[in-house]
Amino acid sequence: MGTIRDIATIAKWEVRRTVTQMSRDTLPIAIVLFLLLIAVMGFTAQSGMHLQDGMYTAGVDDPVLAQVLASDNRFTVYELSPAALRQNRQSFDLVILNGTVIAGDTDRGRAAQKTVQRDYGRYTASVYNRQEDLFAAYPLWIDTEGVKSELDFTSTQSGQYISARPGAAAPEPEGALLDVPTPSPTLAVTSDDLRTSLTRTESGNSQIARYTEMLTSSDTGTSFRTPSQLSPPLPFDSIILIFVFIFPLYFCSQFFMMSIMNERIERRGELLLSTPVAPATIIAGKMLPYFALMLAICAGLTLYIGAPLPIILPLIPVILFFLANALVIGMVSRSFKELSFISIFFSTVATSYLFFPSIFANVHVISLISPLTLIILALQGTAYTATDYIFSTSLFWLTAGVLFYIGVRNFTEERLFSGHGLLTRIREFVSSGLPENHPFASLFLMNGFLIPFVFMVQMLCLVLFFNLPMPYSLILLIVFAAEIEEMAKALGIYTLYARNPGFFSWKNLLLACGVTALGFLVGEKLLLFVTLAEISESVFGSVLFLSLGVLWLPLLLHFIGTLTVAVALKAGGRKWLIPGLIAAAAIHCLYNLYFIMGWLA
Amino acid sequence: MKAKHLSIIVKKEFRGLLNERTILLAILLQLFIALFSSFLMVGLTSMYDPSSLAKYSRFRYSVAYVGNDSGIRDYLAESRDFNVYDMDLSPAVTALQERKLAAVIWVPDTAPDAMEPVKITLYTIENDLQSAIVNVKLKDVFLAYEKDLRTVRQARITEQPVPLAFNPARVGNDFYEFVYGLLIPLLLFMPALIASALVIDLITEEYQHETLETLIASPVTFTEMVWGKVIACEILIPVQAGAWLILLLINGIAIENVPAIFLLVAVTSLVPILIGALVALHYRERTFAQFIFSTALVVALLFALAIPANPLNMVTRLAVGSAGTEQWPALACVTAVAAILAVLLHLYAGRTGKEHHTG
Repeated sequence: MGTIRDIATIAKWEVRRTVTQMSRDTLPIAIVLFLLLIAVMGFTAQSGMHLQDGMYTAGVDDPVLAQVLASDNRFTVYELSPAALRQNRQSFDLVILNGTVIAGDTDRGRAAQKTVQRDYGRYTASVYNRQEDLFAAYPLWIDTEGVKSELDFTSTQSGQYISARPGAAAPEPEGALLDVPTPSPTLAVTSDDLRTSLTRTESGNSQIARYTEMLTSSDTGTSFRTPSQLSPPLPFDSIILIFVFIFPLYFCSQFFMMSIMNERIERRGELLLSTPVAPATIIAGKMLPYFALMLAICAGLTLYIGAPLPIILPLIPVILFFLANALVIGMVSRSFKELSFISIFFSTVATSYLFFPSIFANVHVISLISPLTLIILALQGTAYTATDYIFSTSLFWLTAGVLFYIGVRNFTEERLFSGHGLLTRIREFVSSGLPENHPFASLFLMNGFLIPFVFMVQMLCLVLFFNLPMPYSLILLIVFAAEIEEMAKALGIYTLYARNPGFFSWKNLLLACGVTALGFLVGEKLLLFVTLAEISESVFGSVLFLSLGVLWLPLLLHFIGTLTVAVALKAGGRKWLIPGLIAAAAIHCLYNLYFIMGWLA
Repeated sequence: MKAKHLSIIVKKEFRGLLNERTILLAILLQLFIALFSSFLMVGLTSMYDPSSLAKYSRFRYSVAYVGNDSGIRDYLAESRDFNVYDMDLSPAVTALQERKLAAVIWVPDTAPDAMEPVKITLYTIENDLQSAIVNVKLKDVFLAYEKDLRTVRQARITEQPVPLAFNPARVGNDFYEFVYGLLIPLLLFMPALIASALVIDLITEEYQHETLETLIASPVTFTEMVWGKVIACEILIPVQAGAWLILLLINGIAIENVPAIFLLVAVTSLVPILIGALVALHYRERTFAQFIFSTALVVALLFALAIPANPLNMVTRLAVGSAGTEQWPALACVTAVAAILAVLLHLYAGRTGKEHHTG
């Protein structure tokens, strides 16, 4: 009971202090800026985004087509006589002469032709949309039916297809025949509805939609599309909405970061530390107002856009993840500059992790790595399952938990007010997690708990490399995954070594490598088992997680990798850390290559 | 203001940046963003234009054709992207689910010149990258057939669009517009965001770490100190922008008018740095200064984007080489804004300095 009261008291302090610290005009100015923001957004929506204006120059001999191009800001259009155009052909990126597009043979000319194609497509659509007889102008309609296939992740690896080699005869299905009803040959909607949806697509032609039009399949409102509307769907609106959710979260976590940092400036937090309250309570108390605020903002936004409240659920681990990182960043950085750079760095990486996979929502299961995809799905009206939830949020829960633990362990006078450099401080922080009296047990645990971080970084690599064509994506992933794992395993060894080089007698060295390998393996298998079965069974998974059944082989690999680094450290001292890491990663890569190649063959 | 004093402050700030190795972090950040954006480029351009992805594979997709014979059947058979099989609906969809097919197309027996439209049903695998590519390839087939049907029904169409023929050999991609019209302006102005956040840190740090008294006791005046910090941050701009340009060049992206771009970026970046310095002087406390500044920056950025011939657009035009004389008035406007802000900062710093010396 006492703890809860303490937390409440500290939370109250925190709120009061923030309010009194706020200079008197902060709130009014913030409100004015907010109003300005709304005004400017209105202005921008009206005037459009002028980012690509005047990229191309075009000469046109036909007034109608000149009008079509002039409506696109990317073109500077000159309407000239055919003779003048022929003469000055070279001074344009693109010329339209007698109903033919002649583009310059440069990248810019080709890009200009592509843009004209798009503009012309829009123009033809606007002409056909006005037709009395809609089905003469649009004689072909396509109804797309999705078929669920269980193989999802394993089967489509970045441009590689698992579809059987085409033979002369039609493929024979192996399983029981599905009973597929013959589709109706007629459209179930009136031509008026179709016309409305067609014109809506057309009028969505604002300046901002220019960036989206190639991405989105126009949401026609019906499931029927004309051939030109057929393109892979990208939930662009939802993705923009995601940013609306994520940005306030960044701001709030910034405030928390600063609040932690402020305790450390001029040893202001000494008073708080001298009270008999446990560090965990202090942190919880200081964090509570920010957590509540973030939750309230998310709930408010959700209600405002009229979305179902459960979409907050995937956001909770994200909020905690932000706060945990803010805590640690606020504790390690020495100056404001450092704080700024680390937090910008963190937010860039975190945004990539959260945002990038969600672009592929509806396209590929890889998108589920990001919790934001769950929100997009929920907004689109697709319910996500508990498995999906565990799959995309478990890493966030786990890493947040570990970071909080590190924060609590190090929330002491010695660590908070030390003036050491960043890397030393990080090592000290890790060091507190490795008590001197149980070095091996803690090394085992530490490596187990490192796994969520390793997975997270590896997932980020997977997301990044996923887009590359096949052999490259796999090779890059093999190299990066090996390097990341070896670095993670070396972290504990290096910390122990830096604390006390004499600790590593040969016996201790072997033992330490052994428990590191074991901890790593156990953590890996446990987490895989719980969450990532979907990915671990693909060829990418076999690179990342060595999930090839046999246990002693990966154990041996982890052991040898760690041993390489440890021996390098023992023999050559700290300057041999990097060469040791490279050697270990090389061994790791070779192992992976051998297995992948063997497996693929 | 003495140049010597300014350079003392500038040197002091750079030493601080080097000592803390924050500059390393900044470089790391840039590298990450560079790496990320090059992947984003491949990823997004393939989303922008999935056909760019489709060219990676010279695979022939197996497609089942079900129902009435039509022009689609012929186009599919002609296409080098597809193998067509005539099948019944149920086995075809089952085979699709088992991934033995890439798509199933069902065509009804609607006559080409019928009053009602031809409504075909396309079965594809849900949530699948391959389906996205197959869709793009099928789209060409469907478009060709749509054109045929339109010709059959053209007597019923009252107004035809002005015809326009394209040269199929000049196939462009969206890569160009994405790189020049989005990536380059964003990358080149990113250092400005970093530098303006930095200037706030440098100024508020003097207040919050209570190092101001020592500074006031030195011969350096308060105004000189503020300007020294602004200059230190401004120096970072061309360095970082140059790094970006070199990275882009290494990636084989040609950029024209590099000196003019440098000039424009350097002057424009001064605007957020000066705003940052003003906000920091006013609040003297990092949390709120950064908060107000970031909000103000979003407002300013959105506003700038809504104005034609804004600096970001000018960078795009300069980089592709389509900028005319309008770059000079644009540059003059930005310079004027920066000058006004500089005067404001100078006066404000002078007043604040006097307060500190007397108080």
